[in-house]
Amino acid sequence: MDYLVQQIVNALAFGAEYALLALGLALVFSIMGLVNFAHGEIIAIAGYAVFFAVGLGLGSPIAAVLVAVAMGPIVAVAFERVAFRPVRNAPPTTGLLTAFGVSIVVQNLLTLFVSPRPRAVSVFGPLNQTVFVGPYAISSLQVIELAVTLVAIAGLVVFLNRSLLGLAIRAAARDFATVRLMGIRANRVIATAFALSGLLAGIVTVFMLARRGSVEPDFGAAPVIKAFVACVLGGFGSLAGAAVGGLMLGILDVAILVALPQKYGGLRDAITFLIVGGVLVWRPQGLLGRTVELGDKEI
Amino acid sequence: MAAPVSPSPPVSPSPAATADLAATPRRHLPPVARALLGGLVVAAPVVLIGILILAFAPGYQVRVAYAGFVNLILVVALQVFMGNSNIGSFGHSAFVGLGAYGVAILATPLAAKKLSIPNAPFGLADIALDPTLAAILALAVVFVVAVVSGLVICRLAGIAASIVTLSFLIIVHGAFIHYTDLFKGAQAFFGIPTVVGLPGAIAAAVAVIVVARLFKDSAAGVQLRASADDILAARAFAVDVRRLRFVAWVISALIAASAGILYAYFMGTVIARAFYFQQVFLTLAMLIMGGMRTVSGAVVGTAILTIGLELIRSLENGPTILGVQLPEMLGLSGLTLGAVIVLGMALKPNGIMGRLELDEILARWLARPGAR
Repeated sequence: MDYLVQQIVNALAFGAEYALLALGLALVFSIMGLVNFAHGEIIAIAGYAVFFAVGLGLGSPIAAVLVAVAMGPIVAVAFERVAFRPVRNAPPTTGLLTAFGVSIVVQNLLTLFVSPRPRAVSVFGPLNQTVFVGPYAISSLQVIELAVTLVAIAGLVVFLNRSLLGLAIRAAARDFATVRLMGIRANRVIATAFALSGLLAGIVTVFMLARRGSVEPDFGAAPVIKAFVACVLGGFGSLAGAAVGGLMLGILDVAILVALPQKYGGLRDAITFLIVGGVLVWRPQGLLGRTVELGDKEI
Repeated sequence: MAAPVSPSPPVSPSPAATADLAATPRRHLPPVARALLGGLVVAAPVVLIGILILAFAPGYQVRVAYAGFVNLILVVALQVFMGNSNIGSFGHSAFVGLGAYGVAILATPLAAKKLSIPNAPFGLADIALDPTLAAILALAVVFVVAVVSGLVICRLAGIAASIVTLSFLIIVHGAFIHYTDLFKGAQAFFGIPTVVGLPGAIAAAVAVIVVARLFKDSAAGVQLRASADDILAARAFAVDVRRLRFVAWVISALIAASAGILYAYFMGTVIARAFYFQQVFLTLAMLIMGGMRTVSGAVVGTAILTIGLELIRSLENGPTILGVQLPEMLGLSGLTLGAVIVLGMALKPNGIMGRLELDEILARWLARPGAR
């Protein structure tokens, strides 16, 4: 029973992390059709920012959280300004390759100027403790992760539904041309989407650092690939789909890890993706995706 | 309405038309012959570079060039799928790996197999086939895998399809790494007979380029490209988009697998991580930089990035230039690759070649007024 509860919390925590990443990807994709493979490098840079902040004598975890969460939007907006704005109206593969380029540049800069080896970041250690909820021993980090994800998603929903820019983002996901005709600046909408996506990435950075305790140049690459699969599972371009897909993928991941004998643990990703492929045979548009009318946003 | 013109008595062409005919004689060739000739024109620079390397380059550079030709075949395979269907693929390196491991498992002599995969299932540890037969069987296996994966991928559209090809790559790589009885895990599989040399790779590259051109200009290729430009219009003309994507996927998978077979038969050793993200990103960069809409783009992109990266790699190891020992800079080649991609995409979003093949550019140039 104890084990079961632990694994359920574990699955939800993984799912929360994937959901935050997938939401960040879907926000950017739904607006400008960009498959942002450089999302993981936002996480990596935020992670290194924490590493350097700690190195410069910043000892408190709260300040370190602020560093990570502030760096996310800054880096995301900088990527947009430098790399993605010039290819905004280019074919999707061009944006995809640009994102690869950014990702390669950042990873190699970190390799060249910091180190190819992992760097220890232990400032978030206090977040990860065993706490007892009734009779069950669970990790405090996972509880925090779940709570923060719920708050972040609630905040995102409020922002997208109540603020002018949020409404503009949702409208732009449907028809960017009309949004611009309403007198909304395209640059502001896109920059806001990138900033939100970076903010979510910054939050994920904190959790990843707390769990792993170190940062390396390809720190964010693997989780982002998972998050892309989560987006496809939920329905590419749909925000609700991204959140649901992320949660499902986390649950699937943990379930497979529990069910699989230790020896085949390394096959987790392969099996997860096989199951996702099976789901897509059944529903090619994803769980929550709809086959929309073929407009300029057809994917 | 003009009266119907009887085709039998040849109308004598006007002087202007004669000049036009003389300038572009290929205009009256049947489409297949035109595509064939175009493919050969596109392949000509490849042959030229190959002959230069065979004649002048030292052994180390022959190895580099061979890897370049293998990449070229893979990039052309990507072009067949991506360029015609306009769906990005991350999955073709899985086919390269399947082809390479296929011949490794089937053609490696028994003595080497006793060391590497003594417990292989289905009695594979006790057979060593003729290299040609092994290659054909490997292609057959890839065909089956391509059909199964293609059935899933062709149901999807756009980015979702691309991400599923990425999943496909990860699944196949997971099998390579974890099915150690058959694939020897993360370690190198060695002892494969080395039966192909650079001339063989050059010939294969030429053949593959011609096949890609023939497909691109075939009815299926034209319809698929039309569906990529405007899927509604294509469907309205009764184009079966899914079936065409499927055909392109299978053909390109077989081409990619042949790249893997050539790789294994030259290097004599294969390792799973050679067919993973690094190769995927590099070959995608070659294709998209060159311009994925044309076969010429695949050739140009591969040539530029192969030569450029080799130059940078020699800088990375800290060479001595004019008596000055430069420092070793790990990560420099990756950094330059990334920067070239970002800049190149910003300046030429459609790739270097754009929409026209080399032979089409040549034909236009010859046809321009005053060319003769």
